[in-house]
Formats: sequence, C-alpha cells, structure tokens
Amino acid sequence: MGAPFEIGYVFSFLPKLLETLGVTLLIVAGSLLTGIVAGFLVALPRMYKIPVLRTLSGLYLSFFRGTPILIQLFLFYYGLPELLKPLGFDLSRAPVLFFVILAYGLHTGAYAAEMIRASVEAVDRGQVEAAYASGMTSYQAFSRIVLPQALAIAVPVFSNLVIALLKDTSLAFTLGVMEMTGKAQTLGTLTQHFFETYIALALIYLVISFTLEKVLLAAEYRLKRHEVREEKVGRSFKLRRKGSYRAVLADIDAGKGGRL
Amino acid sequence: MIELKKISKSFGRHRVLQDISLSVKTGEVVVILGPSGSGKTTLLRCVNYLEKPASGEIAVGDFKMDCAQAKRGDILRLRRKTAMVFQQYNLFRHKTALENVMEALLVVKKMPAAEARSRSVALLEKVGLGGKLDEYPSRLSGGQQQRVGIARALALEPEVILFDEPTSALDPELVGEVLEVIRDIAREGITMIVVTHEMGFARDVANRVVFMDGGVVVEEGTPDDVFQHPKEERTKQFLRRITPEANWVI
Ligand SMILES: Nc1ncnc2c1ncn2[C@@H]1O[C@H](COP(=O)(O)OP(=O)(O)O)[C@@H](O)[C@H]1O
Ligand SMILES: [Mg+2]
Repeated sequence: MGAPFEIGYVFSFLPKLLETLGVTLLIVAGSLLTGIVAGFLVALPRMYKIPVLRTLSGLYLSFFRGTPILIQLFLFYYGLPELLKPLGFDLSRAPVLFFVILAYGLHTGAYAAEMIRASVEAVDRGQVEAAYASGMTSYQAFSRIVLPQALAIAVPVFSNLVIALLKDTSLAFTLGVMEMTGKAQTLGTLTQHFFETYIALALIYLVISFTLEKVLLAAEYRLKRHEVREEKVGRSFKLRRKGSYRAVLADIDAGKGGRL
Repeated sequence: MIELKKISKSFGRHRVLQDISLSVKTGEVVVILGPSGSGKTTLLRCVNYLEKPASGEIAVGDFKMDCAQAKRGDILRLRRKTAMVFQQYNLFRHKTALENVMEALLVVKKMPAAEARSRSVALLEKVGLGGKLDEYPSRLSGGQQQRVGIARALALEPEVILFDEPTSALDPELVGEVLEVIRDIAREGITMIVVTHEMGFARDVANRVVFMDGGVVVEEGTPDDVFQHPKEERTKQFLRRITPEANWVI
C-alpha cells in the first residue's frame, strides 16, 4: 500500500498537479463547445419533429446516454481510425486529445440536446403567440422572447452538465493523456504516496466544481431577476400560479440534464 | 374595416368553424357571445392567423387575403394590422411593463427608442399603470397584467383589437378595473372584436352583438335586439343560462 501517510506530500503535490490543469480545462472547454453544437443539431429535429432525423437523434441519445463514457472513449480511439480508413482519412497520427475531445463532446451533446429541448419547450407557448400576434417573425420571437428565458431555465442543468464533464475527464488518462488524474497516478507511482496524491487531486476537483457552481448560480440569479424571489412569496403568492420556473425545473433537473 | 368571408376551420374531423362571415365597420365594437366550445376563440385566432383557416377570405383595411393560399408575407402583414389581448395576458415575463409595450414598436415597427418609450409611457399612464413602468409581470396583479396587455395592443395602432375573454382569468375583484379600461378605449372609436361572458359590459359597449353556437353565427343584431328580443331558440336558452337575473327583469 505504498509509503506511510505524510500530510506534507499533499501540499507538495498540489502545484505539480496544477501544471496539468490546463489540459483538463482544454478537454472541458473543447468538449463543451463540441457538445453545444452537437446538442443543437440533435435537439432541432426533436423539437420540430422532423421525421427521419428525429429517429437518428433518438439513436444518438440512446447510445451516448446508455453506454459508459469509458467505453465510448475506447470506441472512438480504437474504432474511428478503422472506420475512416476505407474512406481515405488517415487518423493514425491524430493526437489522442482529438479523440478524447470528440468523445466527450458528443457525449456531452446528448445531455446538451435534452437541456436545449426542455428549456425551449418550458417557455410558455402563449408568449410566442403574443409575439406573433404583434407581428414578429419566428426568428424575432425566438431570439427576443424564447431564447433569453430558455437560457435562464437552462443554467442549473448546464451547471450540472459542466461539473459532470469536469469529473468525467478524469478518465482520459486511460488513453494516456497527461491531464490531472494521469499526472496524479504518475506521481503516486513515483513516490508511493498514493493517498496524498489523490487527496490533492480531489481537493483541486472540488475547488473547481465549487467555483463553477457558484459562478453559474450567480448567472442564474441574474438571468431570472424578472421572477419573484422566494422571500417575496408571502406577499405575492397569488401571482405565481403559472409560469414558475421552479416547477419546470423540478421536472427536467434530473442527473446530468433531464430525462430521455 | 374588417371583412371575414366564409371562414372554415377543422381540428381533425371536428368542424369548429363553418363558413363564418362577419363584417365590422371602422370604430365599431362587436361582442361575440356563445357557449364554451362554440368556436369563438378559434374565430379570433383565425383573424390574425394564429390558427390557419382551411378556407375563406380575410380583409383588414386595404389588405385582403385568401386564407387557403396565404404566404408568409401575407400573414405578417395581416398580423401587423391586428392586435390581440389574451385571456392569460401572455406578457413577456422577462420584460418590464414598459418593455412589454415597447417591444413590438422597436422590433416590428422599427421605431426610434425615444419615441417608442414616450408612446409606451403615455399608454401605460392611460391604463393607470404610470407607477408600474419598471415592474416585471411576476410582480403585477392579474388586472394590472391585463392592462399592460391592452396597452401593448394599443401601442401598435392596429386596425382592430381582438379581445379573447380578457377578464375571465381574473379574480372577481379585479374584473372591474380591466372592463373600465376597455370601455374607455371603446369610446375613443377603436375598432374591437370582443369575446366576453360579461353581459352587462357587452350591453354597454357593443354596437353589435353576435351569438355563435356550434361553429356558426346563430344570430346577430344590436345589443337591444339580441338581449331583449332574441329570435332564435338557441340564443334564448343561452341568455337564460348565463344571466339568470334577466328572468326577473322580463
Ligand atoms: N388546438 C386545438 N386542437 C383540437 N381541438 C381544438 C383546438 N382548439 C380548439 N379546439 C376545439 O374547437 C372547439 C372550439 O373551441 P374554441 O374556439 O376554443 O371555443 P370557445 O372559445 O367558443 O370556447 C372546441 O370543441 C375545442 O375543443
Ligand atoms: Mg374561448
């Protein structure tokens, strides 16, 4: 079980692990970007009920939500070059990070798609009709009325999604990527102080998750400044019969981002 | 003026509107009455194409359109000549009272912000909400929200305002303030089509009353004709049901 516990190692490992924080954050940012684009592409056919594409979206969601992320990583890393070889693409020299970001990105896309669909559908249809009735085009109604409210509704789900992604990136070391978890493993093997490395590693993940959560909570608070706050409920509970985001969230805020 | 010709609409196999024709003169206030499910809401929603009529013709002012072959541009033009006040108010919840009224002026009419603002402020003052300009809908009572809804409709200077049961989602004590505002604008000669179950109000403001049932116009005439001397049995039944006190008067 390695060397006896020495708290001093925790502190000396912290800066060493932080050297690889950049790689972890690069994976998170790249995957988020990929995921949001993929999420829109997958959500649209489901929102507009486009026949064939909708079925494909459904398959995509089932695959990425129904199989372990570790297996998705392996499938992309080992399978994609094989699949694309006959088509004339040579991926044998592509960096590992490419496969990692693609796999995490498409994985995140599945959750992002449900987040987008649920948030847009949660905006009361009557407001869209009011926008149309006053002569707005569908683009104007979407961008000025639906989108700002959908964003506010999406924030808590988005927050869960980013934190889940951050934690999931710790599996990238299995493909030999030197991100924080990979680095921790190396340090552990080198010094035999495994417990201390993982304490240091857990601390770093905790601080990042906590910060993300607080920042996004502040964003949510700002985006929802038009809603009556809890402490005012006593005065105006009558007005909250309809359109409370909280009721909607209770419905979609499950796990990483909503139901299938 | 507004001219509806032979408007038909079905939901699935259910024919909700059957060849409805209706014409409304400029400045006229037409009240539509009828039992629940008779197609009143659907008719109003067809007038601004929130529902797509299967067939028929709609003319508003100098603009005329054949419903069956309406293009996107036609629909936008039609909607820009009409405005609607909804039963559930349907205010934009992320915008203040003032922003709700200004929104379409800025986005649809492309009015300069200062002008849109001063017009909106004036209208909100007129409906008695001069002190609530910067409140979000979640902080307003139902009656206040509906008055913002009316100001929002007025701001667009439409050829006609369509009211779909503007007071039926309100607590009883708030109905009066909204009816009063509608009465005021009716007196100013704004063309309106109003669906309501408020009989006293209908009698007061209507130039003409239209009674619908089962997707057709059963009877129409002056409030006096329809309320005091209804000709059709269905109208009589409806009036007995909805205004039990009328029995005492007659
Ligand atoms: N979107 C819809 N889909 C299916 N049926 C509808 C829809 N809207 C209205 N209907 C039906 O059309 C009929 C007329 O409805 P509506 O116009 O709302 O009547 P009213 O406003 O007079 O109560 C009702 O039978 C209603 O069930
Ligand atoms: Mg109705």
